[in-house]
Amino acid sequence: MAPAREMSSDMVLDSALEVIDMPINMGPQHPSTHGVFRMVLLVDGEKVVDVTPHIGYMHRGGEKLMEAMDFRQGIGYADRTEYLAQFSAELCYCLAVERLMEITVPERAEFIRVILTELNRLSSHFMFMGAFGIDAGLFGTSFTYAFREREYLQDIFEEVSGDRLMYAYFRVGGLAWEVPDNFVARVHEVLLKSQQGIRDLDDLLTKNEIFMARCQNIGNFSADQAIAYGVSGPILRACGVNWDLRRDEPYSIYPRFKFQIPVGNYGDVYDRYLVRLEEMRQSISIVEQALEQMPPEGPIVPEKMPRRLRTPPGEVYAKVESPRGEWGAYLVSKGGDKPYRLKMRSPSFCNLSALREMTIGQYLADAVMILGSMDIVLCDVDR
Amino acid sequence: MTPPDGQDQEPQDNAGKASIDPPPPAPEEAPAEKAQAEGASTDTAATSPPVDLGPRTGGDQPSPATIPDAATVPAPAPAATDAPMTAKAPEQKAASESPPSQTGTPAGEQLAAGAPVPAAAAPKPAAERPARPAREAEPKEAPRVPPPAGSINELLANAVPGVTMKAYLVPSVVGESVAVDVGRDDLPAVMTAARDDPRLDLKYLRSLSGIDWQEEGLEVVYHLWSFTRLHALTVKTRVSYADPTVPSITALYPAADWHERETRDMFGINFAGHPNLVPLLLPEDMTDHFPLRKDNPLQEIEEWQGDNLRDGAGEGDE
Repeated sequence: MAPAREMSSDMVLDSALEVIDMPINMGPQHPSTHGVFRMVLLVDGEKVVDVTPHIGYMHRGGEKLMEAMDFRQGIGYADRTEYLAQFSAELCYCLAVERLMEITVPERAEFIRVILTELNRLSSHFMFMGAFGIDAGLFGTSFTYAFREREYLQDIFEEVSGDRLMYAYFRVGGLAWEVPDNFVARVHEVLLKSQQGIRDLDDLLTKNEIFMARCQNIGNFSADQAIAYGVSGPILRACGVNWDLRRDEPYSIYPRFKFQIPVGNYGDVYDRYLVRLEEMRQSISIVEQALEQMPPEGPIVPEKMPRRLRTPPGEVYAKVESPRGEWGAYLVSKGGDKPYRLKMRSPSFCNLSALREMTIGQYLADAVMILGSMDIVLCDVDR
Repeated sequence: MTPPDGQDQEPQDNAGKASIDPPPPAPEEAPAEKAQAEGASTDTAATSPPVDLGPRTGGDQPSPATIPDAATVPAPAPAATDAPMTAKAPEQKAASESPPSQTGTPAGEQLAAGAPVPAAAAPKPAAERPARPAREAEPKEAPRVPPPAGSINELLANAVPGVTMKAYLVPSVVGESVAVDVGRDDLPAVMTAARDDPRLDLKYLRSLSGIDWQEEGLEVVYHLWSFTRLHALTVKTRVSYADPTVPSITALYPAADWHERETRDMFGINFAGHPNLVPLLLPEDMTDHFPLRKDNPLQEIEEWQGDNLRDGAGEGDE
């Protein structure tokens, strides 16, 4: 044995093995990037040393386009930006214009807006659960479970707005048209299914040993880091920051509802999942309260609405708690019927900018989980 | 849509049809029809009715030239033929009511039903057109209201003495928040104080936007928020086209990293001190073209609603 060992050590010494960090390309077409996103990971063995995200593949100049659209046309573009939480984006844009024009939205319209926005949060989180399960290696199971539930919700959106994806149902001042007669009954019906769907996913994922092993203690972020990096939404709450715009900077009629804000302790991927799971239950609670309090009839647009919307000059930064975080619209108007400048502060963009910080030092396989836990919408990142 | 008034004017409109000289009746109607039409109504009313009244009171099919004018008025029938997609429910109702009056053969019916349309048509442009100059005269900039005493800008002024800043209120979704204009050279001191001063504690950079104010230069807007003090502050700084350089705040706020890269892409604002100021959303080699600047006009979008109607369309209440 002894001679052999001498030989091998000589060999290593002679060849002077060179160790370099290896760049690995991921994307832009990759199932785990949830869209057209590319990152170049520099790895040392299995450890990630550096990450260079490349975005902009879907950049369509949305902010420029919105400058050429009048205030009603812009609503449709908000859908196309945030295509998993369309109602949140529409709501934010409408809030900004309404604030500048000083329009008061009728009560019934506010209730319908809240109900749809919260149902949209449910459908968006279902989407997350399904896709995240695939990232974690569950293959199709969670995906099919979650998409079944999402389909029920999308049926409602289609019945209300006439479209499965690009709703454009909110209007400045209210809603485009009245909801179907059976709206309340249908929402109740679908809420029952969603509750069962949340239980199914909870049973499938939460205590799943493999899932826990893949999620826990990766991508940890402290509260201070999260704030410094401008992270918002479930990721921020998972880091222990008790913050939700619906409660803390309320808009619309959210102060009328009682709901709880789930907050994580570790700021890891698993906490983000748990926060979203609990948020879904809270959303159901909000929708139930809203259905109870909603006036059975009433106007859905203010009585005095000009047909061509013109704002006075001014600026406003409107923000809503979208499923992914703070969706903000910084609207600058010089008067007239078009925005002079509209900055869309998308939570996906801001959260994704923290990806590098979260991923460095983690294992390569966990980088996929960290990216998946952000629940990004690439259209929203690139705008 | 006030038939009583219109019916009173029937004979006059008939006269107008015959002589193609309706201006006399129109200015008389205008003040009675709409209270908001004030002094300026006479001259505009004198110009518009000849086009409106002449062909339509005759009961003929309206000539194409009259259609756009008719579209300025919510009521008349031709609007429905010209812009059927845009007509909302009340209009369509009005439109479906009036065509019989135009196609109907008996002369008496024509007079009875057809006349109210031009009668209503004449004063309405008169009422809306004068409103246009009033809109043009709107202030181009929002009035700058100074924040009340004890606002956050006083804390900021205490934290960075010697920095000149202009503070004013800007609307947020509920209530107002404070915005301050600071010079470019003061920006690092202001942002450092905003982040580190415990009375301000604005540790969260919500958003960072660029705005192209054309001849007034480029502006960078920072939206800050404090999770502990629960207050917001908007910081703005302007630079000229000639020297569009703003000190980077990436070292203070890591969140500004991508925002600054995006703003450089779109506006060509150079953030001095940024560690990696390469294009983010645009292609890597696209460093000399700034799409969101106003000197890059967007190709005209075909307006399917707004501009197919004439000026002033849809400005009145429905």
